[in-house]
Amino acid sequence: MIDDSLLTPALQGVHLSRSFGEGETKTTVLYDVSIELFSGQITLLMGPSGSGKSTLLAILSGLLHPDSGTVMALGHDLWAMSDLERERFRLRHCGFIFQGYNLFNALTARQQLEMVLRWGEGASAGEARRRAEEMLDLLGLAKKAHLRPTELSGGEKQRVAIGRALIKEPNFCFADEPTSALDWKAGQQVIELLRSAAHDRGATVLVVAHDARIIEHVDRVVHMEDGRLWQQEEHEAREPVLHTLKQAR
Amino acid sequence: MASYSLTTLWYERQRYVPGVLAVAFSALLIALQVGLLLGLFSITSIPIDHTKADVWMGAPEVSSVDLGRPIPEGRLARMAYLSEIKRCEIYLQGFAFWSKPNNGGSELCMVIGSHLSPDSLGKIKELTPEQCGLLAEEGTVIIDKSDEKKLGVEIEKKAEISGYPVRVVSTTHGLPSLAGPYVLCSIATARKCLPVWKDNTTTYVLGQCRNRQDAPKVVKQLNQYKDVLAFTQDEFSKRTRLHWLLRTKAGIALGYAAALGLLVGAVVTSQTLYAATVASLREYAVLRALGIPRWRIAFMVVSQSFWIGIIGIALALPAAYGLAWAVEYFIRVAIVALPWWLLSAAAAVTLAMALVSGLFALRSLRQIEPAMLLR
Repeated sequence: MIDDSLLTPALQGVHLSRSFGEGETKTTVLYDVSIELFSGQITLLMGPSGSGKSTLLAILSGLLHPDSGTVMALGHDLWAMSDLERERFRLRHCGFIFQGYNLFNALTARQQLEMVLRWGEGASAGEARRRAEEMLDLLGLAKKAHLRPTELSGGEKQRVAIGRALIKEPNFCFADEPTSALDWKAGQQVIELLRSAAHDRGATVLVVAHDARIIEHVDRVVHMEDGRLWQQEEHEAREPVLHTLKQAR
Repeated sequence: MASYSLTTLWYERQRYVPGVLAVAFSALLIALQVGLLLGLFSITSIPIDHTKADVWMGAPEVSSVDLGRPIPEGRLARMAYLSEIKRCEIYLQGFAFWSKPNNGGSELCMVIGSHLSPDSLGKIKELTPEQCGLLAEEGTVIIDKSDEKKLGVEIEKKAEISGYPVRVVSTTHGLPSLAGPYVLCSIATARKCLPVWKDNTTTYVLGQCRNRQDAPKVVKQLNQYKDVLAFTQDEFSKRTRLHWLLRTKAGIALGYAAALGLLVGAVVTSQTLYAATVASLREYAVLRALGIPRWRIAFMVVSQSFWIGIIGIALALPAAYGLAWAVEYFIRVAIVALPWWLLSAAAAVTLAMALVSGLFALRSLRQIEPAMLLR
């Protein structure tokens, strides 16, 4: 028997289009794009600058409204929701990692994570601290929990940002160029953490990146160019879940 | 929540210093201005505040202690008959012209004539028993040391009040005046100096209650008569100060200056918070992307404004005391009054200003757009 959740996409974008500007300055960045993402899978969205990959990520994650098309996330039409409902959906189900670490200068690594739990879930100070310390331990930052961003390396800061995205244990994790500001060694650590989120926690992970070295670390690669998806590669050997899926199909 | 605000304030203190100083400036300005005014106008009620009478009874139209009109001395009987009254006595006070010796010009002065016995109700407390003994001699007066130059005399020098020759026999300390220097003397001398107050008239009848708590009751009974107006000591003191505050329009000037101080404080604090929030827009945008409600971020900004207010006030209040002390030290007169209620009110108004500034700074949150992180 195959688990239905492995056949049903956790996140599905259907006929998505998006333009910016009006009149003569109107620029279309997405042309009728459809994509399916599955839980337990890390997908790399690649393409040259301006190909529309960040826009697609923003639409799939509920941050940017598409001009047309639908996004189904866990069976819910994301863009049929009200702003408040979508905000709650993101709070409950989405984690984000951006190119810039965007950490608060005044707060320690532990406080950056605690803040998400206390403000997002209303967790008590004690519980937030415990979970933040567990996450930092998992990220190999246990000894640096008390340090502020200025006292951390680029890789460490990005790991804190990953911790901030994953501490809620989200169903979806969206990462936009998470390794572009890092050397390859630190970049590899970051990708492995995201892989672990997908494989160990069953999260649906979508990574937007330029770096071709990431390809061998992901389950699936989707290429974009000029606002269209044009090629999808799947790495069977690295992903038992996907392998099972393909067999089932 | 508070810890993130305080941590941010402390770590990025250089960014928040202008806001804290603006709040401190506002609180200091309000406290000192009102304190100065209170201190200044408390001088006008010295004859009431520095004597022992529980009840003051004067002419019906009296609006301030220095504006008393003659009333028949016989009104004293009305008070004396009241069972709550332990003792009562007459008291003369009025403006007169002081002629400096050797044709040195004239000066408006405030003559105060009271009984001089140790238990006298109208005797200013600064007068020592020895000085009271000296004043027993008719034609002798005592002035404050700080008014010697203004009145052109010193101890044992002679002058004239309304043409009546007087001799300065001693001086007091710490008895400042606003409208005209206080000239202290006996009832008999005062009658000579204040020709309007003919024999058998008085400016006020002062009363002492057996039980001080009965003063309002006594006042109520006395005010049943339409030809007099009675007050408790506290009421008459406040009425006098309020009269001066309104008559001199000083309250309006105070209001403008305080409003200006608040406005400056509000603008600087608001801009400080606005700039600080804008500087962290990307961090807040991540939180918004993660689904953290906007009100949490707004609360953090307002919480920061609260702490800026508290820190500013904490700096301002000791500074207010320090400046008041400095004024007293250098001018030798306690001219700035800083009662607890004034400091509390200044703190409350300033804190409210800081919070409103925080609310105005919230406009910066409109710029938070999570999608901007993906561009």
